[in-house]
Amino acid sequence: MDRKTYPTSETVDFIVVGSGSAGGIVARELALAGNSVVIMEQGPRLDAHEFEHDELKYRQLSGITNNPATNPQTFRRSENETAVRRNSMTYARVVGGSSSHFNANFWRLHEIDFIERSVWGPIEGADLVDWPITYADLEPYYCKVEWEVGVSGLAGASPFASFHSKPYPMPPLPIKSSGVLFERGARKLGLHPFPSPMAINSILYKGRPPCIQCGLCGGFACEVKSKSSSVWTVIPEAEASGNCEVRPNSYVFQIGMNAAGRATGVHYFDGDKVEQFQRARAVVVCANGAETPKLLLNSATNSQPEGLANSSDMVGRNLMCNKGGGAAARFEHPLNEYKGANVTMMLHDWYNADPARGFYGGGGYTARSGGPLTWGQSVPEGTPTWGPGFKDYLESYTHWMNCAGHGTSLAQPNNRIDIDPELKDDWGVPAMRVTLKDHPDDLKHAQFMIDRAVEIMDAAGAVQIEPGEVGAANGGVHLLGTCRMGNDPRTSVIDKYHRTHDVKNLFLCDGSSLPTSTRGQPTHTIEALAFRAGEHIARFARAGEI
Amino acid sequence: MDQASPSRRQFLAAVGNLASASWITLNWPQIAVAAEQADQGGHGGHAAAAPPPAGLKTLTAAEAAEIDAIANLIVPGGTTPGAREARAVNFIDTALGSFWAAQLPSFREGLAEFATGFAAHSGAATAFSAAPEAAQTAFLHTVDETPFFLAVRRLTVLGMIALPKYGGNHEYAGWKMLGVENRHFWSPPFGYYDRDYAGFVPYPGTTIQTA
Repeated sequence: MDRKTYPTSETVDFIVVGSGSAGGIVARELALAGNSVVIMEQGPRLDAHEFEHDELKYRQLSGITNNPATNPQTFRRSENETAVRRNSMTYARVVGGSSSHFNANFWRLHEIDFIERSVWGPIEGADLVDWPITYADLEPYYCKVEWEVGVSGLAGASPFASFHSKPYPMPPLPIKSSGVLFERGARKLGLHPFPSPMAINSILYKGRPPCIQCGLCGGFACEVKSKSSSVWTVIPEAEASGNCEVRPNSYVFQIGMNAAGRATGVHYFDGDKVEQFQRARAVVVCANGAETPKLLLNSATNSQPEGLANSSDMVGRNLMCNKGGGAAARFEHPLNEYKGANVTMMLHDWYNADPARGFYGGGGYTARSGGPLTWGQSVPEGTPTWGPGFKDYLESYTHWMNCAGHGTSLAQPNNRIDIDPELKDDWGVPAMRVTLKDHPDDLKHAQFMIDRAVEIMDAAGAVQIEPGEVGAANGGVHLLGTCRMGNDPRTSVIDKYHRTHDVKNLFLCDGSSLPTSTRGQPTHTIEALAFRAGEHIARFARAGEI
Repeated sequence: MDQASPSRRQFLAAVGNLASASWITLNWPQIAVAAEQADQGGHGGHAAAAPPPAGLKTLTAAEAAEIDAIANLIVPGGTTPGAREARAVNFIDTALGSFWAAQLPSFREGLAEFATGFAAHSGAATAFSAAPEAAQTAFLHTVDETPFFLAVRRLTVLGMIALPKYGGNHEYAGWKMLGVENRHFWSPPFGYYDRDYAGFVPYPGTTIQTA
């Protein structure tokens, strides 16, 4: 297929910055509505055969993620500290973005997620807010993700789920040994495990094959296109419209603005590190919860000296990464968790926060696996670190599984992305500075999750259980909340249609849009928001309201 | 204890970096290039109980023998392959000759200190690799918290499990030790516990929706 291209001199209708979970969908919706669209992606475009089963490269060595050597960041725990060079925000830097390397857990939010401030009231030290939309507003778009992008699962299986107006289009993936054991232990405790909804094909769907069960999902891109990543799903559909160009190796570092306060396009470095400018009638930033605020803050103008769309001073604030806790467990017989999709069974019994626990926090659990190289880097306390005892441990690899808890993080204004005053990346772009510290309730909830995971694994018959430890927040891959949506321009960055309060033709849609952290699996919601945003932005374009 | 001199501190930091995943991340592009070179270069010889390390590009034979001896105690052979059979030392040789070349002087300094320490401990001039295993093991217990040892340990594990194109995990010996079969696709049942899985049973009061 000949791919559409646009010269930089042409003023396209939309530039979408980022090609990941949100960017791909927004671009598809805008392109299918007849708008000319250019997607800017920092990283390269790789074909399926270029993705490898190389755990060293992908899980530990920034094979397709932001590289600390060229894209450095700084980190500190409070504004009183001097930040030190350390990358704490991780995201994929490739066409498809983080949808390329996600584990593909696709949980819907529940009705409670949207109204927790009303239910809980204020929480000291946190800025818990209601969403400006409800579950009912978003439900049709969850369906759209499930059917247009592709999600396997069993609707109705969880007694705790909010309503589904449609079933999943594909049955759940085969349950592997970790799922069977997890289900066994949880049911024994009176809990309600159910097959995990996953953005992975369980059958041939939309021209993509079912999962080959290679066992390498999280951190890897799918070389057979079974995982429903943007690069295999919505981006080809956007391109097939004839209205969309994907421009890889294009690093947007500033949004162009005119004297009237309108976005005029984007400044970016091409693959040769040569500065370019692409003109556009409107810009949609879907760069992720760390890069989006960085771009806005690096785009300050004389009239918006604190950064674009930042009259509220909320750009970059309320960073959330999802706190969690779990346990590893060894069983008598081999599970062979290196085979099969990483997650097949989960539960939501403790999804809702419960005042009786004495703290805020809720989440879910998955039974899951990890690759051998990552697993072999550490040993349980008391296990020899070398010699025959260490080897015995390595030889037990196929007997282990993880019971992983995925939970909430409270929004705190001091947890933020801003611009480091000194550090620049390899392109000379000022680097992001991350300030991140756990809320006390997040720590308590993490310990709660660990304790419950131990109980589940014990009930499942584990012969050895290694509880996780509650450590201090050190970053993550779920980058949320930094340009939150809301009705009040004084306390939020975008409105409920993802338009920035301050710049009429500038929209944001990605993890930064989320007012709360979700329960540890935000991508389904990010994609539902993207379908919704794309629909409304296209409507605004048709009505001349951009 | 002696105060660490600036060069000593630099050494500790440099060798310690080898034990850290974040340092590897910083140096990924060089690693990728080197892995390609190692893959193209190949390594001759056969897996054997204790062959002298072959196919070296960076370490001297004497250095490689010492590292191989340490690695072989970290993951010993036996009924399943150990570090020697997996040629973990070749991964280390590749790493220190290319993507971690900047660490080579510090690594060599660490190895020299290790040798000096062993000589003092054993009271003889015998190389560590030539000493009886009991003496080797006894000495390792005295240094197994040092940055040099931790670096060798981490490199050994990487050399056993990372893909053979990086120089180690010869003929997937490390995966055999783990119990991992070298295939790219699978079908259920995957393990012992899902062989007889009867399927998900819905909860009372729930209604399963199917497409």
